[in-house]
Amino acid sequence: MPTIAVDAMGSAEHAEAAVRGVAEVSVRTAIECVLVGDERRIQSLLEQLPYNPEQIAIRHCSGEDDRPERSLAAPWRRGSSLWQALRAVVERRADAVVSGAPASVCLRAASQQFTTIPGVHQPALATVFPRRHAPNQDPLALLLDAGASARCQVRDLVLFAAMGHAYARCVSKVASPRVGLLNMGRDAAVGDDMLVEAYRRLADVSGLDFVGNVVGADLIGDKADVVVCEGFVGAVAASLLDGLAAKLGEAGRVPSDSTLLGRMGLRRLGQGAPDPEAWFDERGYGGAPILGYQQLLVVCRRWDVRTVANAVKVAAKAVRDQVPAALADAVSATAR
Amino acid sequence: MRLRRTRVAEAASLPPLLCRWDLDKTYLRSEFDTLRQLIRTARERGEDKVEVPGVAELMKSLWAAARRQGRPVASYFISASPPQIGKAIREKLALDGVPYDGIVFKNQLRHIARGRFHLLREHVGFKLAELLRGRATALPGTRELLFGDDWESDPLTYSLYADVVAGRLAAAELLAIVSRLGVDEELLPDIGASAGRVCGADGVERIFINLERRTPPAVFRLFGPRLVPTFNYFQTALVLAADGWLAAEDVARVATELVDRCGFTPRRLENSLADLLRRRLMTSDVARRIAQPLRGVGLLPPEPRSWRAWLERVRARLRPPPTLAPQTGPLDWDAILARLRPRRAASIPATRQV
Repeated sequence: MPTIAVDAMGSAEHAEAAVRGVAEVSVRTAIECVLVGDERRIQSLLEQLPYNPEQIAIRHCSGEDDRPERSLAAPWRRGSSLWQALRAVVERRADAVVSGAPASVCLRAASQQFTTIPGVHQPALATVFPRRHAPNQDPLALLLDAGASARCQVRDLVLFAAMGHAYARCVSKVASPRVGLLNMGRDAAVGDDMLVEAYRRLADVSGLDFVGNVVGADLIGDKADVVVCEGFVGAVAASLLDGLAAKLGEAGRVPSDSTLLGRMGLRRLGQGAPDPEAWFDERGYGGAPILGYQQLLVVCRRWDVRTVANAVKVAAKAVRDQVPAALADAVSATAR
Repeated sequence: MRLRRTRVAEAASLPPLLCRWDLDKTYLRSEFDTLRQLIRTARERGEDKVEVPGVAELMKSLWAAARRQGRPVASYFISASPPQIGKAIREKLALDGVPYDGIVFKNQLRHIARGRFHLLREHVGFKLAELLRGRATALPGTRELLFGDDWESDPLTYSLYADVVAGRLAAAELLAIVSRLGVDEELLPDIGASAGRVCGADGVERIFINLERRTPPAVFRLFGPRLVPTFNYFQTALVLAADGWLAAEDVARVATELVDRCGFTPRRLENSLADLLRRRLMTSDVARRIAQPLRGVGLLPPEPRSWRAWLERVRARLRPPPTLAPQTGPLDWDAILARLRPRRAASIPATRQV
């Protein structure tokens, strides 16, 4: 059974969310977890909750700091819980890490502890988002890079496509994932030289179902199962989807709450329709894995009980499905 | 996998040990959340019944350890199940090879026949009466270990009983509390008389509560350090070993059973041990002493030899000592009743704090 190290770092609320999430996972699944943080604080929280001690270990780290800016400044600090969590994986005491630290912090720390897959120059943050889908089709698509690094080169985009393809096959169980390149138009010749070259290279990769360029509107359509782009563009796209969902949810709520007719009609109508905010809510999907390392790290942008629990499950699934090995195979096949 | 046996004591001069066990959810994995499960449980035969992992080995180990120490030992079950399932239970105990001296069942048919259905789920009075009655016939100086679970009222019943035996709760005070709990009024004279006889006899060493429902351990803090909530019988065995009732070889028997037959891994056992240490139910020195032989035979992972592990051991030694001291002060029964049965406690005027 996979063992997941969970970074119970930061403020009291942050630690509580981590402990509650792990306690929930321990009671409902067979996944084992290592909570990394202040042992006393973690234990005092655990004792207030239903939990299964057989599946929870605590790795104490004394260098806890409640100030996130401190973590941002020094992710490599040996006392930090993130460092210790990554260390647990390197020492084979855990199989993957789940952290709520900012992605940039996680990347800096991971770059010092983890080993990249041979051939990978730049790891990618892979995030899932809901899209229009046919029956029996995965309701989620994968976007990478969603902000691990602002810029990249053509070779990185090709490797992102290979890794995203392998991840979608392993975790989402899509038999032949369709890969699209996020661009400003659907034609092969649009975009700058790098995107045109990337299009050409992706079309040449054997075994990759490349569907060509996709535009913003295609993100929530069902044109591609995996969308690759530069980190700068990916981060903006992911953030735009979040913001749009929040706005749509708010737009539906305001008239239903402000008038009597709204309360009578729209609320009832609204009960039958999915809440866009909940639809896009990443808490339901866990976190975003960083692909490109021989070890697994899942980063959560939000950090609450539901996110932690789902992120742990996502990480455990990735371990069970041997994602790092599949990524390595995909990268080496692409390099050939 | 062999462990050296501890030396058998020469003289039988130690006080007797009396173990009293609840049946459902403590010894047996009974499911009766729904009517269908209840009917199925009632119709089960001995071989259909499933015990809680490790419990049978623990029972046998307690018996064997007492014999080795030259200590007379007796083991009884007190169950709120009806006597109609007695045959299946005895079959199951025989199958498991569990030594016992008797089983007491609750006569539920009597309540049904008289239309007193509210008493079908009221077990405090029944169990308390049986505990007190049993103690009244025990030898002087008897030490007791009580085993229950977190499903019904075992923590409350056992703690009331232990306080009476310790002389911290007089018979009149006990009757006031059980009246607040709404126990069968017909039992009150019996409870009062038995409590008067055993009050101050002393000897309840520990109350073990099997956290079958995963109730948070903090819930039981009101019951004091005498009551030990444990998540599995490996933890129970470890605390018993720390108290001197079991030897490392007995703990190993329980651990072997859990690993061989119940899907536990050495890492899961290690996590269970670490949980006890964090809850300060054992000292790290005692834990190391007990765990050492288990590590030797692979039941626990080998101790890491890095400087980090050494540092961790030093840090563990510097921790404040655990609160293993015996229960000294009286329990706050008003707080306990308010916590366990808030509606009833609020609706009835509180007695004076006992």
